This record gives sequence, C-alpha cells and structure tokens, in this order.
Amino acid sequence: MKKIISLLFISALGVLLLFVVASMPRMGDPESPTREHVIPRYLENAEEETNSPNVITGIILNYRGYDTSGEVTVIFCALACVLAILGREKRGRIHSYVDRSPVPASPVVKTMVRFLAPFIILFSVYTILHGEISPGGGFQGGAIVGASIIIFTTIFGLWEASRRIPQKFRVPLEGSAFIIFFIVGILGIVGGGNFLTYAWPNIANNLQPSVVLWLTIIVEIGIGLGGAMVLISILFAMMREEEAIAPTA
Amino acid sequence: MRLLHNYHYIGAVILFCIGLYTVIVRRNIIKKLIGLNIMETAVFFFYISLGYVDNGIAPIRVGGADPSKMVNPIPQALILTGIVVAVSVTALALSLVILLYRQFGTLDVDHLMRDEAEEAKEAGE
Amino acid sequence: MATALNVVMIVLLILSAILAVRAKDLLAAVIIFSVYSLIMALVWQRLQAPDLALTEAAVGAGVTTVLFLVAIFKTHREEER
Repeated sequence: MKKIISLLFISALGVLLLFVVASMPRMGDPESPTREHVIPRYLENAEEETNSPNVITGIILNYRGYDTSGEVTVIFCALACVLAILGREKRGRIHSYVDRSPVPASPVVKTMVRFLAPFIILFSVYTILHGEISPGGGFQGGAIVGASIIIFTTIFGLWEASRRIPQKFRVPLEGSAFIIFFIVGILGIVGGGNFLTYAWPNIANNLQPSVVLWLTIIVEIGIGLGGAMVLISILFAMMREEEAIAPTA
Repeated sequence: MRLLHNYHYIGAVILFCIGLYTVIVRRNIIKKLIGLNIMETAVFFFYISLGYVDNGIAPIRVGGADPSKMVNPIPQALILTGIVVAVSVTALALSLVILLYRQFGTLDVDHLMRDEAEEAKEAGE
Repeated sequence: MATALNVVMIVLLILSAILAVRAKDLLAAVIIFSVYSLIMALVWQRLQAPDLALTEAAVGAGVTTVLFLVAIFKTHREEER
C-alpha cells in the first residue's frame, strides 16, 4: 500500500519535472539564456585576469574564492563530525578487520598495489601542480591521493597504513586547506586589496602575473593536501576497531 | 520536438525519480544512502548538460582555443564544489549508520522505529 | 552516431541505477553503484567537463565506494526482509 502511494507520488513528480524540462531552451544552443552576462566575460578574460588557462580553476580559486573557502570548511566540518561520532585513536598504530582476516591478500594483488601506488601519487602531484593549465586542481589531486592510500589500506590493512601515515603527520595537514586559504586572503588585504585578492595593487604591474600564479599554486597545494588528509582520516576513523590488541600476522 | 532533443534532461529526471523512490520506499539505511547519491548525481548531470554547447570544447584556453565555442564553465565550477560536499555528506551519514548499528543491531528503519518506541515505553513505566 | 552513443550511455546509467537499487545483497548494490559512477564520469567527459570527470572517477567510483564498503563490513551485508 505504502509502496503504491509512493510510486504514484513519484510518477506525478516525474511528470511534473518532465513538463518543466520540456519548456527549457534547446540543449547545446550557443545563444541560450544560460550563456549571457558573466559567462562570455569569464571565457574572454579569465586567462589574463587569473593567469590560469583552465577557466574552471580560475573561477573556483579566484573569481569565486569565497565559495571554495566555504567548501573547504564544509569538508573539514564533515571530518570533525565523523571524529566526534566515531572517535579518534589515542596514539600509535591502529588495526581493522582487514588485519584479522584469515585469508591473506593474493601476492599478485599485493605486488600490483605496491607497484602502482607511487605512480598514482605521482599522477596526483601532476594533477595538483598542473591544475591551471590542464584539467585538474586541488580537489581532483587530493581525491586521487586519497584513492591511492585507500587502495593501499584495503590490501595491506590499517596496521600497515597507519605506520606509513601516522597521526602526528595527518593532524597538522587536515586543516591546511582552510589555513592556507585564510593566509592568502589576509595577504590580499596586506597587499592593498580586499580579502582573497590575488593581484595585489601595492606591487608593480609587471610583477602581478607571477604573484597571481604562485598564489594560485600555493592554494592548490593546500587544498590538495588538506582534501587528501581529510579523506584518509575519515576512512581511518571508519575502519578503526576499538580493541587494543595487535593483529596476529 | 524539443524534449526529444533534450534527452539528457529526461535521463536526469528519470535518475532523480529512481533515487527518490529508493529513499522513500527502501527500508535499509544504506540503500537509502545509495538512493541519495543517485539523486545527487542526477542533479549534477542536469546542471552539466545545461552548460553544454553543440560541438563545444572544454573551457581550457590552450593552443589558441576559441572562447566562443567553449562550454559554460559556471556549472562545472559549481558542481565541482557539489561533488566534494556530497562525499562529505555521505561520509558523515555512513559514520552515523555505523553508530546506529552498534547501538541497535539493525539497519532496518521499521525495526529502528519499533526499538525506539519500546525504549520510550520502558522509560515511561 | 554521437547521439546514439549518448543515448546508450544514458540508458546504461538508468539500468545500473535500477540494478543498484533492486539488488538484495548490499555489497552487489555498492559495486553496481561504483559502475554507475564510472559511466557518469564517461558521460561528463562527453559533455566536455574533464575536471568533473576526473573528480567523479576518483571520488564517486573510488572514495565513496570504499566508504560504503567499510560501512557494510562494519554492519550487515544482507538487506533484511
């Protein structure tokens, strides 16, 4: 009964949404109303103003930097909530069900992961540092670092992974994204502009492009490190098990 | 027929409805979370297809690319933020799920409600 | 040709969403959901959004799937009737 009512409700909603969608402009129209006002300006001037040929990186870090700093705060808050709910390890190494599994991972998988992990991390460093020229940037690179550590953790176990990335290494870096954003914002005020101004008015005009470029790269690195560490810490907190005994193997 | 040309939008609407159905009807909380994720990606998909341009190129100005042919960069920048927020929401919800299971030993919403009602009754007596 | 490919991809998306929702085994549901994320990344690449495709492939198919897997191993694998 409940199923039928919800099906009816959802199909009514679907028909309503289809009606709304049917009156939208044709998709792929270069003249459509979604491409007015600020879009041509972004596409035309982004390279000169933000010094990043990748317009998306220019928008998320420069034109809409407030937006991104808020987002960085959101992921940090998510980590804080996860740690408040599940608790963080006191000190030292931790373990999980992977370490107690009676079936060890196959040597083929272990060798492949050990072989691939450095390359994945290298690719993510490339993604972070090349974010303003090619597709990529802080979040993408951070997520790829997180994914490589996740592969490592699911195969080799949390006991091994928490030795490679100890708590005292993770904790200072978790907040790095927001801290670096804040520092760059304050530097914008010191340089004579507003909060999060990359092109400081107080310095010579010919220096401005390189300052903008370096600030962008610094913010990207901060976001990448912070995002990666937040993802890794969330995973560790979710995998961790309470008993203070070492795994058998 | 414009709606048939905009078939990406129809796909997004169908995906959204599938996600909403899962969230409402399925009783397992992890299933509900999968449904929530499907809903999120459906909305993201809709936004990205809004910004597409026929024969467009990615908004990266390398090698003298023509800006008038580029797809709309704003939805992409917004959705990039959205994806990261979505994964934070999922992580938070899953840690709550683990805590719920530790407390009540079930992930079924109906069971959870019953357990809660019984506890309230016991506390009242 | 390009339209046919797009339509096939969207149909695959819808199919994988339905399969993920209908699977009784939560582990299977999560694995199918990661396939869904991967197809979504391909669709976004076809819509000229390489940044998003990269993010979705890393976050949706990698991080979210593993978080779901950890939650399932810590709780219950089968969906209760």
